[in-house]
Amino acid sequence: MISRNFRDLVSVAIGGLLARKVRTLLLLMGPVIGVAAIVAAVGLTDSAKGDLKRKVAQLGTNLITATAASSFGSERPKLPVDATERAEQVETVEKVSAVVQLTDITVSPYEKARRKYETTPIPVLAADTRLPFVLEVDMLSGRWISDADAEMDSRTVVIGSGLANEIGYLPGENRTIDLAGKPYGVVGILGKVELDPTLDNAAFIPFSAADRDFVKEDIQPTKLYVRSDDGTEQATADTLRTAISLGGPDEVGTEIQAEALQLAAQSDKQLQLIVASMGLLAIIVGGIGIANVMSISVIQRSTEIGIRRALGHTRRTIAQQFLLEAMVVGFLGGILGVLVGALAILVGVWLSGWVFVLQRWIPPAGIVLAMVVSVLAGLYPARRAAKLEPLETLRLG
Amino acid sequence: MTDPNPMTPEGTEPFLELTNVSRVYGDEVKVYALREVSLRIMPGDFMAIVGPSGSGKSTMLGLLGCLDLPTSGSIRIAGEEITTLDDTNRTRLRGRTIGFVFQQFHLIGHLSALQNVETALLYRGMKPNERHDKAMDALERVGLGQRWDHRPVQLSGGEQQRVALARSLVADPIIVLADEPTGALDSKNAENVMQIFESLRSPERAVVLVTHDLGVADRADRKISMRDGEIVGDDRKVRA
Repeated sequence: MISRNFRDLVSVAIGGLLARKVRTLLLLMGPVIGVAAIVAAVGLTDSAKGDLKRKVAQLGTNLITATAASSFGSERPKLPVDATERAEQVETVEKVSAVVQLTDITVSPYEKARRKYETTPIPVLAADTRLPFVLEVDMLSGRWISDADAEMDSRTVVIGSGLANEIGYLPGENRTIDLAGKPYGVVGILGKVELDPTLDNAAFIPFSAADRDFVKEDIQPTKLYVRSDDGTEQATADTLRTAISLGGPDEVGTEIQAEALQLAAQSDKQLQLIVASMGLLAIIVGGIGIANVMSISVIQRSTEIGIRRALGHTRRTIAQQFLLEAMVVGFLGGILGVLVGALAILVGVWLSGWVFVLQRWIPPAGIVLAMVVSVLAGLYPARRAAKLEPLETLRLG
Repeated sequence: MTDPNPMTPEGTEPFLELTNVSRVYGDEVKVYALREVSLRIMPGDFMAIVGPSGSGKSTMLGLLGCLDLPTSGSIRIAGEEITTLDDTNRTRLRGRTIGFVFQQFHLIGHLSALQNVETALLYRGMKPNERHDKAMDALERVGLGQRWDHRPVQLSGGEQQRVALARSLVADPIIVLADEPTGALDSKNAENVMQIFESLRSPERAVVLVTHDLGVADRADRKISMRDGEIVGDDRKVRA
């Protein structure tokens, strides 16, 4: 009996909504826009970072970088000459690679571009033979700097994938680029370095060549890339600081690369909160809109309400009818809002090359939120409708 | 006050009974719309309530229809005192016992003829097909079985009033209460509607027409005349 009466109520409420399609559409706007804004806000910020989170998981968390934190009397802080050996003394260190950031070298991939690269220089790094091995990055093409290069003092250069792209270098191509007037032959392209994207636009040369062509004094590493045993990242990073500086004048700073990435992956929580709050505001404004439109509707439908009351529909039934209309509006608006929001995420993902992320709890939460706001908004009009007296709305005699 | 209906056996309970009913409007300046009125509506009654504007007809209609409560006095419908009922129970009693026909038809615009009739059967725990069949029967009874899917705007005034009549009958009320049922109709449609009303005479039902149209009132078996909030005449026609 109760279920049949409820079915009657649902059919009356849906019939009422279908009968006034434009009004229903207006009612739907609030929850749709609000839910869509919240879903899109949360989903887009999650999706933007989803890519990064996936990479962190893939790349492992045990890459540590060590750099000189400060150095008296020196513009560019450097690590001790034997920093690599010192780092290798730490028990939990698995492998180490050192690079030297060379300064004042204008790289010119071709003659006409010299001026451009004078103003926006390409970073040139002297690197040892182990760098790709420590970074766990494959070569895109060609080969990395070898022991033979070091022994023969040859002028070979490996370029990052971004730089290769920029200068239009084709894999396998015979190409010489100009490093401060010295011709260097390109022997390979290093694959994308997700954990340190600055390397993608750099040129790498052997230590021996750097020593001969550019550095006149003892060559001192500017940065160490260290892989530690899994699970010992923090301890290793702490020990490395002491192990490398050994009480010397220069302090050493270490950073766990994955942590920095994870931090980056979470840094937009505030933005997410702001946009989601605006979505919430949109839902509330939508709720006020619902209250408004439904109140007007109660006035417009006062005769219908009077007829129903005269036919034996109780005040409670009339109130339930209006509340159910509001609930259906919230439900449909919530579903549409989730769909529109998901579509917005898809468009954003498609435009930016992110990974689609929509946490599983968001669609049902959006729909429930829209329903709750709609029902709250429907309370006042429903009360008004229930209070109407048939004698007031049906002119008699 | 009322003579016993010769058609009803002695000792029959009235369907509706007003005893010393007054309806007063206003707090400081009191206006008596009805003053100490008593009336018994018996099974089988086919009656008209007549009177000029301001005579208290509309107030009477509101009270008979259980849409309003008296300031004093007692109203019993099917033996149940309505002045002591709460709104919900009074509404349910109204839905069970009274069928309304209004001058302006008062059909729900977005519903079909059938759905309008079905509205009177909602929230009664009825199966949809049972409700559908009852509503179709009622529409056929007023000659509109073929037009069940038409909306009010697609029907003439006479047809709309017939749909309203079907709606008033579908729940088998003991009293059909009509407020100027022919007031908005041309003479041909009015005649058609009156014929249907006349066909409703039954010992299980009472029909009450509130009207100022004496032509309509003359067709009733019993005529209650009102003036200044009081009943001034209760005439019964003896039918051959």
